Amino acid sequence: MKYLSEYRDAGIIRGLVERIRREATRRWVLMEVCGGQTHTIVKQGLDEMLGEAVEMIHGPGCPVCVTPLEQIDKALLLAQDPSVIFTSFGDMLRVPGSECDLQQVRARGGQVRVVYSPLDALELAIRNPDRHIVFFAVGFETTAPANAMAVWRARELGVPNFSVLVSHVTVPPAMTAILEAPDNRVQGFLAAGHVCTVMGWKEYEPIAERYRVPIVVTGFEPVDILEGIHLAVQQLESGRHEVENQYVRSVRRDGTVPARSLVEQVFHLVDRKWRGIGEIPRSGLGLRPEFADFDAEFRFGLRELAVDEPAECRAGDVLRGKIKPFECPAFGTLCTPERPLGAPMVSSEGACAAYFNYGRMRRAVNRGALSPVASESR
Amino acid sequence: MCLGIPGRVVARRDDRGLPMGVVDFGGVRRECCLAYVADEVAEGDFVIVHVGFAISKVDEAEARRTYEVLRELSQLDELDWMREVAEQGLGAIGPGSAPAGGGA
Amino acid sequence: MATASLANGLVCPAPHAASDRVQLGHGSGGKMSAALLRDRFLPLFDNPVLRQLGDGAVVPVPTGEIAVSTDTFVVSPIEFPGGNIGSLAVHGTVNDLAMMGARPRYLSAGFVLEEGLPFDVLDRVVAAMAEAVRSAGIILVTGDTKVVERGRAEGLYVNTTGVGIMDARFRPRPDGVRPGDVLLVSGPIARHGMAIMSAREGIAFEAQIESDSASLVPLVERLREHVGSDVRALRDPTRGGVASALNELAAASGVGVVIEERAVRIPGPVAAACEMLGLDPLYVANEGVLVAFVAPAAAPRALAALRSHPLGAEAEIAGRAVPDHAGLVALRTLAGSTRVVDMLPGDQLPRIC
Repeated sequence: MKYLSEYRDAGIIRGLVERIRREATRRWVLMEVCGGQTHTIVKQGLDEMLGEAVEMIHGPGCPVCVTPLEQIDKALLLAQDPSVIFTSFGDMLRVPGSECDLQQVRARGGQVRVVYSPLDALELAIRNPDRHIVFFAVGFETTAPANAMAVWRARELGVPNFSVLVSHVTVPPAMTAILEAPDNRVQGFLAAGHVCTVMGWKEYEPIAERYRVPIVVTGFEPVDILEGIHLAVQQLESGRHEVENQYVRSVRRDGTVPARSLVEQVFHLVDRKWRGIGEIPRSGLGLRPEFADFDAEFRFGLRELAVDEPAECRAGDVLRGKIKPFECPAFGTLCTPERPLGAPMVSSEGACAAYFNYGRMRRAVNRGALSPVASESR
Repeated sequence: MCLGIPGRVVARRDDRGLPMGVVDFGGVRRECCLAYVADEVAEGDFVIVHVGFAISKVDEAEARRTYEVLRELSQLDELDWMREVAEQGLGAIGPGSAPAGGGA
Repeated sequence: MATASLANGLVCPAPHAASDRVQLGHGSGGKMSAALLRDRFLPLFDNPVLRQLGDGAVVPVPTGEIAVSTDTFVVSPIEFPGGNIGSLAVHGTVNDLAMMGARPRYLSAGFVLEEGLPFDVLDRVVAAMAEAVRSAGIILVTGDTKVVERGRAEGLYVNTTGVGIMDARFRPRPDGVRPGDVLLVSGPIARHGMAIMSAREGIAFEAQIESDSASLVPLVERLREHVGSDVRALRDPTRGGVASALNELAAASGVGVVIEERAVRIPGPVAAACEMLGLDPLYVANEGVLVAFVAPAAAPRALAALRSHPLGAEAEIAGRAVPDHAGLVALRTLAGSTRVVDMLPGDQLPRIC
């Protein structure tokens, strides 16, 4: 696939790894913000290849992982309503709420459907006028333009049986929260390439300046990530702290203006709770009051739910990079991909799931030919 | 955020006022919304698509330029690496055992 | 159209004798059922055993052992590029028998039809089954049909149970893999699962992707003939894909498995569709592929045997069993790093993240 496959070239990958290892005079600590980037790093074994040169802390850039428990519980409530067809991206189906998850609701008879695009959900509403279609509008700034368009079109076309359950979050406040933490170890960031495709990179300039951290806007293929890491390491080695763009084929400084414009018309900034982290002011997007008719919380009168997360789940500390997944007491015991306590074990690029799979190999090899731990089997 | 892949615009059409198009991803075609890139994009251009929406036009010139730089660097690195390997008398070692040039 | 007539017996309300859809009456065991069987099933599967229309079938078997396998097919949509639930149901069970080393002989088929299923759809499903039965060299010996109310069967479900004859000298087994055994994959992967995805509402896309659903018997016969007891294990990687099949074999045999990414063939459009939906091809279902572990010395022979048939034309040596990390499957990436390929807890879902 053009503009994709060539960024997996083994020779270029090895070359970049070599350069990074040669040029790093000490072990730098970087954070990749986006779950998709974590996925590539783990899938391609990039952190294994980088060895001692760079430590990658997996950031909270997984909207699945940070969707607050309350929103999941609201989703489950809606999905159990017999008049509702609840539509969602596939990522959300196994995220545990307080009692169960969307897949379990479906097993009990709830109408839950996976869609590829919010417009598919709108189309479903148009074709099923006797049901109410709710779409779970989750994501970072990348997905906001798509979700905004679904709402905009619903109003334009006059679709009465469509609404969205919103749980959008924005990246810069999360980065700031991480940098503000007293025990922060992150020295540089790989910013999320598709968030920045939409938003541009202007809002990262004050962060780089204030906290003196390099921020490299980075793509998602192995070559992109390594190039991003290389640029970050070069900045750190020379004492610079700028915003740089690695993902030049997609990102411009102003982003995609028409997309930002529609998002601003449909959504506004709200305070948002991040699962496992807590509330970060003005870090989320909510529907503007004039679109209340398309807001599922308004249409269905969903009260503010206050929900406590399981005490054993240390997702917050993992998402902030404070602990590694295997340092959580529940890791691999109470909490496994089959029975996750929190979202980072559910999502395939949640840090905990990534470590669970990848790390087992390391430990098994280190111990010699040993059969896997019983709890890890199907 | 995450899953956005590049594809080529092969057709454009209007859906009740909304600019839509057929995008080809390496042999798979899907209808995508082109509203956010409508003014910049023509048939034959590449776009990055996320959940059925084109969120940017691929800057092919920039992509080519930066990729060439990378490729050259990696070829230099490969030669360096091979020399190191030879000097240390290690023979064919390391991940995948070195092929002669860049892989893929 | 229907004219109520006494020929149907005095029934109130008089049933529509001719309609274009399955109705509840077709599963009742009465005249409508008999007509369904007579007109839509029997002619396509005709053979001496089936003609007897007993409660079951009596068939001859040689001495030795027989293999029995059953599977129920609930795929949705029931028609997809490259096949339908009917052909899938035959190939699936035939392949399960073949993976045990058996020679498939007999098949039964149990149908659950949804009220309202259009007859032309049913006819296409039955025709595909009949063709699959013929090409697998087996016969359908008995069957059953039930009809359930609208909303209860997504069109059609079918169970097939197959009987095959075991060969004492050819016994591939899940626990038969030994360290050093070589892994072969018979063809390009992930075609079936992506063909299904491409037809699924809410996801649908256009692609030149067809299900690879096929009987693997010809490939297994070649392995039996040219490799014989050096074939340690066979598996058809259906649900859960190659990754799951290899995990199952690794666990059953107590060995580790290493698979080379560069040896795994994925057709261009299949790979592209996986990229679009965020799916890993290693976990996507196949219906016309087998994985085999063979003794190391037999590997070149096994590869040649697979490649000598069209279904195996793109067979590759893809990895090996190792004494390390027993029960775990590791992938060596193109770039040279290694990662674990685990079993998924559930189905792989399209993702945006």
